[in-house]
Formats: sequence, structure tokens, C-alpha cells
Amino acid sequence: MTDSAQESSPQSLDAQLARLPLDIAPPERVWPHIAARLAPSPRRTRPLMLAAAAAVVGACVASALTWSVLRGRPAPDAPQSARHSPGLDEPRDPHYFAARAALESDFRQRLALLDPATRVKIESSLAVIRQAHEDIRKALASDPASPVLEELWQSTWHDELHLYESVVQATQSTLTRT
Amino acid sequence: MIDVGIPVGMRSAGEPTDVIAAAAAGDLRAFEQLYRQFSPRVFGLCLRLTGQREAAEDCTQESFVSAWRALRGFEQRSRFSTWLHRIAVRTVLARRRGLRVEYEVGEPAAGLPEVADPSADGMPLDLERAIAALPEGARHVLVLVGIYGFSHAEAAAALGTAEGTCKAQLHRARGLLAAALGLVEP
Repeated sequence: MTDSAQESSPQSLDAQLARLPLDIAPPERVWPHIAARLAPSPRRTRPLMLAAAAAVVGACVASALTWSVLRGRPAPDAPQSARHSPGLDEPRDPHYFAARAALESDFRQRLALLDPATRVKIESSLAVIRQAHEDIRKALASDPASPVLEELWQSTWHDELHLYESVVQATQSTLTRT
Repeated sequence: MIDVGIPVGMRSAGEPTDVIAAAAAGDLRAFEQLYRQFSPRVFGLCLRLTGQREAAEDCTQESFVSAWRALRGFEQRSRFSTWLHRIAVRTVLARRRGLRVEYEVGEPAAGLPEVADPSADGMPLDLERAIAALPEGARHVLVLVGIYGFSHAEAAAALGTAEGTCKAQLHRARGLLAAALGLVEP
């Protein structure tokens, strides 16, 4: 092979490579497959609903455990009391947020009165409830029209409130004695 | 990660920022517009990287599904086309890892006659076949650097290999191609 052949071959190859079209149309059948995978479907909603439901179960268990820890007796069937608190039934109401903030403030103060082991359990329960709330919020973002998700989302708000109330009530006597 | 910039072969005319924004907001029709505009380059890239038409279709599909899912996080700091092509390369590499045996036993140039029509525009069909028949590593580098204009650094980053390896693979690919096309005596 001569020097000129060595030099000209790569150039020739480059020229051929440069002539190749960069764009090649895919078959028409590709887009329908993509569109079918992207379009929202009931199948997609179902796992989200199940995840949300699982999150609520976790939140309820956490709330019930907290109840049990604070009262020193078996957990009640369901932590529903906060759902009937006057003025606290609508999470999107500004008054709701104000009342909730006040209750959380009380909760933080009262929590400090409890022994460390109980505090850990309560903080753990609160974390579970908040995680459930966040999981459901994400599910709602994907399926905002779902009344079931909306209901589940509100229930986690109430579970959190219930936990606050439980701590406040359980420490009331301690606070009175001091 | 290395910023791979905009490889020469990946540059295209103005990008439809409004359509990209609409698709990012969940508008499937806008996303279809993006598909219509950008899929030929993605499919060409996937076809040459895989050397198999069916695999290229799958990779194109996967690339756009991945792009749709990630589009909300696309901040337009790089061009959409560049971002999309990176997804395509990653998709091909991921598929290669999952289907290695299939790739090794498959006929490398399967499907390419549908791609190249030398009577239509003088495209060198032999060259396409020779590229598809290259060993995988050499083919990937040749496609990215030799055809689609990636720099060695860009290709190395995309392929997850060293720049030196990239250069060596390109040299090997060029030698094999030249031999296959009769440009140099083997």
C-alpha cells in the first residue's frame, strides 16, 4: 500500500460517511405504540389507588398505635374523633390551617413532657402519617379528579390532627399537676 | 457528568420551545409533534447503533417513552435534541446489556435494505451493511463520532468508556470498513 493510498482511503471513507443521511424515518407503527403507553388508562390509576390506600392504612395504624401508647390500653377501632372536631373539617379552609398550626404548637410543647421512649414512638407515628399524606398527594397529582384519593388525602390530615389532640389530652393532667 | 454539548450531526434548526413546554406540561399532542420532528434522527441513530431494525424500533419507542416521563424535569439548559439523543444512546446501551446474546447471534445487517436505497439517492448501501457488520464497540464509536459528529470526549461520556478507548475503536472501525469496502487491501 502506498502512502497516497493510505492517505486517500480514510478521506474517501470520510466522504462516504458524510454522505449517509442522518435522519431515517421510523415505521408508522412506532408512534401508536408510544401513544398507547403514554395515554392515561384505568390500569395506571389502579396501582396509585392501591398505594394511596396502603398509605392510609399505615397512617391509621400509626395513629392508633399512638393512641394506644398514650392511653396505655388497646387501640380503638378507628381514630375518627378529630374528623368531627368543630371547625376542622375542611383542610383547604384558612381557618383550618390556623387551628391546625395552633394545635401543632401545643403538641410540640406537650410532647416535651413525655418520656423519651414515648416521644420516639409518637414522632415515628407522625412520620408515617406525613409520608402517607405525601404519597396520596402525589397520587392525586396524577389523578386529580379521583374522589377516593381526595377522601384518603383528607383522612391523613385528620389522622395528623388526631395524633396532636391525643398528645395534648394525654398530657393535660401532667400539665395541671405542674 | 461531562457536558457533551451539541454534536455536529445532532444540530438542527430552531427548536420548538412552545411545543416542548406544552409537552412538558402533559400535552400528548404536542409530544406527538416533537416525535414527528425528532424521531427520524433518533431512529437513524438507534438503527446504526444496533444494526437491527427491530431493535431500533424498540429503542426509538423506549427513548420517547423515557423522554415523556422525564420531560417535566427538562430545563432547556441544553437543546432538546441533544437531551433526546443522549436518552437514545443510553436506551440502546441498556438494551444491549439486557439482550446481549440476541445481538451476538442476530444477523447484523438485518433490515438495512429497507433503509438504504442506492438507486434513489446514491446512498452507499454497501457502507451501511459494512457498518452494521462491525464489532459492537467499533460500530458504536464510528456511528457517534464518524457519522453523528460527537467528539471523542462526548462519545466516551455517552458510551461510558475512556476517550483513548474511543479513539482506538474508531481507528479499528475505519480499518475494518476500508477493508470491507476495498479501499485498502486487507
